[in-house]
Amino acid sequence: MIAIEHLSKRFKTAAGKDHLALSDINLELQSGEFVSIIGPSGCGKSTLLYMIGGFVPASDGKILIDGRPVTGPGPDRGPVFQEFALFAWKTVLQNIAYGLRLQGKSKPEAEERARVLLRMVGLERFANFYPKELSGGMKQRVAIARTLAYNPEILLMDEPFGALDAHTRTHLQRDLLRIWEEHRKTVLFVTHSVEEAVYLSDRVIVMAAGPGRIARIIPIELERPRQRSELMFDRRYQEYITEIEGMIDAFEAAAA
Amino acid sequence: MSRHLPSICAGLVLLLMWQLAHLSFGLSGLPGPMAAFAALPELISDADALYDIGQSLQRMAAGYLLAAAFGISFGLLMGTSPLAERLLNPLIMMIYPIPKAALMPILMIWLGIGDMSKILVIFLGSSLPIIYHSWQGGRSVSQIVVWSAAAMGMNRAQRLFRIVLPAALPEIFIGLRTGLILALITMVVSEIVARSNGIGNLLFNSMDMALYDRMFAAIIIIAAMGYALDLIFEAIRRRFLRWSDQQDQIQVAVG
Repeated sequence: MIAIEHLSKRFKTAAGKDHLALSDINLELQSGEFVSIIGPSGCGKSTLLYMIGGFVPASDGKILIDGRPVTGPGPDRGPVFQEFALFAWKTVLQNIAYGLRLQGKSKPEAEERARVLLRMVGLERFANFYPKELSGGMKQRVAIARTLAYNPEILLMDEPFGALDAHTRTHLQRDLLRIWEEHRKTVLFVTHSVEEAVYLSDRVIVMAAGPGRIARIIPIELERPRQRSELMFDRRYQEYITEIEGMIDAFEAAAA
Repeated sequence: MSRHLPSICAGLVLLLMWQLAHLSFGLSGLPGPMAAFAALPELISDADALYDIGQSLQRMAAGYLLAAAFGISFGLLMGTSPLAERLLNPLIMMIYPIPKAALMPILMIWLGIGDMSKILVIFLGSSLPIIYHSWQGGRSVSQIVVWSAAAMGMNRAQRLFRIVLPAALPEIFIGLRTGLILALITMVVSEIVARSNGIGNLLFNSMDMALYDRMFAAIIIIAAMGYALDLIFEAIRRRFLRWSDQQDQIQVAVG
């Protein structure tokens, strides 16, 4: 379980002024929950994710994971970034096996598990390719497999499909849901797409900017497993999307 | 074959211009290419000359390898620590424009005209581009790649050697290649200034004795050394950077 209490983040701007990026964030995430964060740019949604990851320190407040405060990055929280962040000098298989090697697994053992994950993301034929030889969608599949390999309890996904074309994005969303149904990890998913957030999540957190804060939390009560093609004709799905888009427009208009 | 054609043409044009200059000026100090190449076999089979070349290569290797080890560590330190960057950047910028061979007289006073002063000046001459490119390489390593490694459980030292170093390698190799050519140049200059042995010394001895064929043959040897070292370097670089997008494009700036 993730518990966030009175969390805030201040930056010094280039001009030397204090900028309040996040103000008094309070949030609880249950284990195995899929939660999306959505909001206008500048609302601090990625910063929030980086702070949970332990990559960026908090200015005030605290983040507790199963009761223990976050003090830095750790293998219990696996990040997936929009720009993939693969190790370009390692092959696909080595990328996925890297985390396991660090946990002290032998090379054959790590590679065997890496192959299982590679099959799960449908790239077993590309084990010995370098990242530069892959398309964007394939790179992101490798990045997801690399993170799943060291078995984090929490996935922190920062607009993971934002750089992909619409077709590839649809495929990866479906695959992510399939993998999540199977392993039920806690997922925190930052996105710009309302449709994506509603399709994937148990709850959608809508943030507002200036200062960054949680504006609304909307439970998505659609049955699982979800089929995108069926949802398209589901009135509730449409209503969620319309409602959240209206909210974001309103916050943006208020901020402008 | 067609890949080498431009190089072969360039070489032929150079030889032709040389021959024309030789014919039109008629200077004893400018023998033709035929005479220079004819002097080559004798020079290469001369034990003293081979000793000179060996001495040069040894000092160059010592100075260059020291510069590589020091330059990469120093540059990556600057590239990953904002504090080190702020402290060292002004120092680098001040030292950068000084022609390192100009320090040779000072080094000779301190260390004599033996190997030490020459190795040190080669080290100084080749380390700055290596520092500079390692620094730029280190600071351009993507933050999220380093974070990805941190999340796997890598500590700071592991991240430096296993993430930052390989990620910066394409840029580091650009510095290493510029440094290699500068090491060759400084090596020859150091031997001309402090003459004890070496290919630079051989070159100037030939001039003193008015053996101009031999002098030009020595220049051909220096040029061939530079070319061969660069070829070897490129082969090594390509092997190390198979994974990189930049492996086929490299620009050298010799300052």
